[in-house]
Amino acid sequence: MTDCVMEAKHVYKTYCVKGEKRKDVKVIEAVKDVSLQIRKGDIKLIFGPSGSGKSTFLRCMAMLDIPDKGDIYLGDQSLTAKGVDLNKARARIGFVFQHIYLFRHLTALGNVELALRQVLKLPKEEARKRAIAALEEVKLTDCIKKYPSQMSGGQAQRVGIARAIARKPDIILLDEPTSALDPELTGEVIDTLRDLAHEGTTMLIVSHEMPFAKEVAEEMIFYDEGHVVETGPPSLFFNAPNTDRAKQFMTRIINRTTRE
Amino acid sequence: MFEWLTNPLYWTWIFQGLTLTVEITLFGVCLGLLLGTLLSIGDIYGGRTARGLIAIYVEFFRGSPLFIQIFIAVYTVPALLHLQMDHYLLAFLVFGLNSAGYQKGYVKGAMQTILDDQMAAGMSVGMSRWQTLRHVIIPQAYRIVIPSWTNEFCSLTKSTSALAFVGLFDLTSAGLSIKGITYQVLPVWMVIGAIYFVWITGVSKLMDVIYERKKIPGVELDLQS
Repeated sequence: MTDCVMEAKHVYKTYCVKGEKRKDVKVIEAVKDVSLQIRKGDIKLIFGPSGSGKSTFLRCMAMLDIPDKGDIYLGDQSLTAKGVDLNKARARIGFVFQHIYLFRHLTALGNVELALRQVLKLPKEEARKRAIAALEEVKLTDCIKKYPSQMSGGQAQRVGIARAIARKPDIILLDEPTSALDPELTGEVIDTLRDLAHEGTTMLIVSHEMPFAKEVAEEMIFYDEGHVVETGPPSLFFNAPNTDRAKQFMTRIINRTTRE
Repeated sequence: MFEWLTNPLYWTWIFQGLTLTVEITLFGVCLGLLLGTLLSIGDIYGGRTARGLIAIYVEFFRGSPLFIQIFIAVYTVPALLHLQMDHYLLAFLVFGLNSAGYQKGYVKGAMQTILDDQMAAGMSVGMSRWQTLRHVIIPQAYRIVIPSWTNEFCSLTKSTSALAFVGLFDLTSAGLSIKGITYQVLPVWMVIGAIYFVWITGVSKLMDVIYERKKIPGVELDLQS
């Protein structure tokens, strides 16, 4: 039907936040009519102010949050249709979290191995081989026996990436993979992502790493207040975005980057 | 004062009583953990009805004295059902059900400290909710629960003295029998008390060792806060 690896069609998601008083309930429209197509090998980058709903949208793509309205497709399969085995679908989607979320009771190897054993049902040795291969890909063979709390943030996030790619998913969704890390540790994670990009991995990344975006992204998506404001190649955003909102945001980000 | 200690008959009684105390406590703690875990999962994922029933269950077992619960189980339940039921079996079950009422709180508390992020992580790799509970949430929650489990063990061991009310022969019953024959009230209770003390302290120390061994490297500070 389509050659899309993943597609979002008119997705909506709202959620409630409790205020200070019990009766204060704020309804946040995190995703309002967002549509998006990703083809094989595409690298797309979503950026925009914090709190604008980027993460919620990404979680909807992986069906970790269920959209209120709209459709998500993985290949030809609708994930928002009734009776879909979402676990099977998620097995084909890699997800990397902002706050890493490694399994704390397992070593780096155990973190990568678990889904290979439980989801793909690989035999023990096969799973181990593939887990080690995934850890080699993120250049982490020296700490496969370490627990998450014994690693640096950058190492932990690379384990997070290894965990996401070990199943050889159709696409990897990355939710601000570097923003919880110390600035000096973001480099190693960006290097890993760059390697993945050069191998042709399909990725949808929420990030503000502008030099990285310029280098690898085919398309950048400026997202604000729950919807897509503007999309285009990096050159558009770095030279002259069409919307004022994007212009403002780019100026602010570029100033910040050069100051650093 | 302590001459009775040389009589082997009394030691047989003490040993017999201690055996029941130990067996029923270990059984109670284990069944309590199993049921407590199921109740926690039901409380977190169940609907309103399930949560209501679980709340009633927990309040019943926490809110009434254990000896009344044992009394009801041993005398009232068989009478109502017109059945001959083994008193020992019923008492064992009551200890498990009672402990589940407490352990539900411990297990649920431990699960909730890790649930949000670890569940999302588990589901993001394609595991089902149940697989994530089994391979990620429960292994971590049980490590956190070990100290509460030690407390539960201590309090349950001492609660076994309630068995004397319904004529089951636990360690306290042994003490009552010896006291009834020897009239050495204080010495008997000192000896019985010392046996409780040694057993409870021994197991508590063992649990501390297990806690240290099973601890996830580097996260002990998070877990105890």
